[in-house]
Amino acid sequence: MTLPDSPLSVVELVCAGLSAVILVGYLVARPPLVRATKLALLLGLGVFPIGAAFSGNVHGFEGTKERRFCGSCHTMVLHAADSDDPASQTLAAQHARNKMFGSENCYSCHANYGMFGTILTKAGGMRHVWMYLTGYRTKSLEEDKKEIRLLEPSQMNSNCMQCHSTEDNLWLKVPDHHASLDDTRAGRLGCASAGCHGLAHPFWGTDAGAKP
Amino acid sequence: MSPRSTRRWLVVACVSALAALALMTWQIFDPTVWPVMVAMSLGQGLGTASFAAFGLVVRADFRARLRDGKASKQAGPE
Repeated sequence: MTLPDSPLSVVELVCAGLSAVILVGYLVARPPLVRATKLALLLGLGVFPIGAAFSGNVHGFEGTKERRFCGSCHTMVLHAADSDDPASQTLAAQHARNKMFGSENCYSCHANYGMFGTILTKAGGMRHVWMYLTGYRTKSLEEDKKEIRLLEPSQMNSNCMQCHSTEDNLWLKVPDHHASLDDTRAGRLGCASAGCHGLAHPFWGTDAGAKP
Repeated sequence: MSPRSTRRWLVVACVSALAALALMTWQIFDPTVWPVMVAMSLGQGLGTASFAAFGLVVRADFRARLRDGKASKQAGPE
C-alpha cells in the first residue's frame, strides 16, 4: 500500500471525499427532491465523481508506466526484481539506474515508438492482460521463463535508437558498430543480444523461445 | 415514476456511486494491475450508471411537474 504521492491523486481523493460526504448525507437525511437536493446530488453524483474519474485516469495512466505496475503480475516478478537489483549488470538494470529511465525503465524500453506509440502500447497491454488471464495466470515462473518472448524483436532496436541514434561519430568509431550498422538500423541484429551488449534480462536466452 | 420509486432509484444511485468511488480510489493506494483496471472499467462504469440513474429521475420529476402544471392550468382558476 502506498500513500498519495502526486497532486492528481490528491485531487482524486478530495473529489471522491466531497462526493462521499454529499451522498452519505443524502442517504442519512433523505430530503425531498427539491431544487437544492437536485443541485447537491448533481455535485455528488456528477461533478465530483467526474473530477475523481478524470484525475484518476490521468494518474492511473501515469501509474501504468511504473516498474512497480509491470512487476505486479507474477510473470514479471523476475524482470522487475532484476531492475531493482543495484548490483545487477544487465541492460535493464543499468538503464533503471539511469535517471532518464528510473522507475519507468520497462515502459521507456518497451513502449512503441512513434506518434501513436502510447495508444499502441496501451492496446498491447490489454493483449498482455488477455494472455495472462487465458494462460499465464496458472503457470509457474519457471514455465513463464521458457515461454515469454518479445512479440516484435526487430522493433526493439528502434527504441534503443531513440537515445543511441547510431549517427554520432563516437558511436560510429567503434568497429563493431560500424561493421553492423545496416543490420542494427534494420533490426536484424539486436543491440541487446549475446554477441553485442548482452541480454536485457539475465534469464533471457537461457531457454528456447526466449531470445531477444 | 412514483415518489417512492424515485427515492428508491436515488438511493440505488447513491450507493452505486459510493461503491464506484471506492473502486476508483483503490488504485491510489495500490497502483498495480488489477486495482488500476478495475478503477478504469468497473468503477467508472458503475459511476456512469449511477449518474445516468440520477438523470432519469430528474427527467421523470421534470415531466411530472410539467404534467401537473398543465393539469392545473386546464382546471382553471377557482
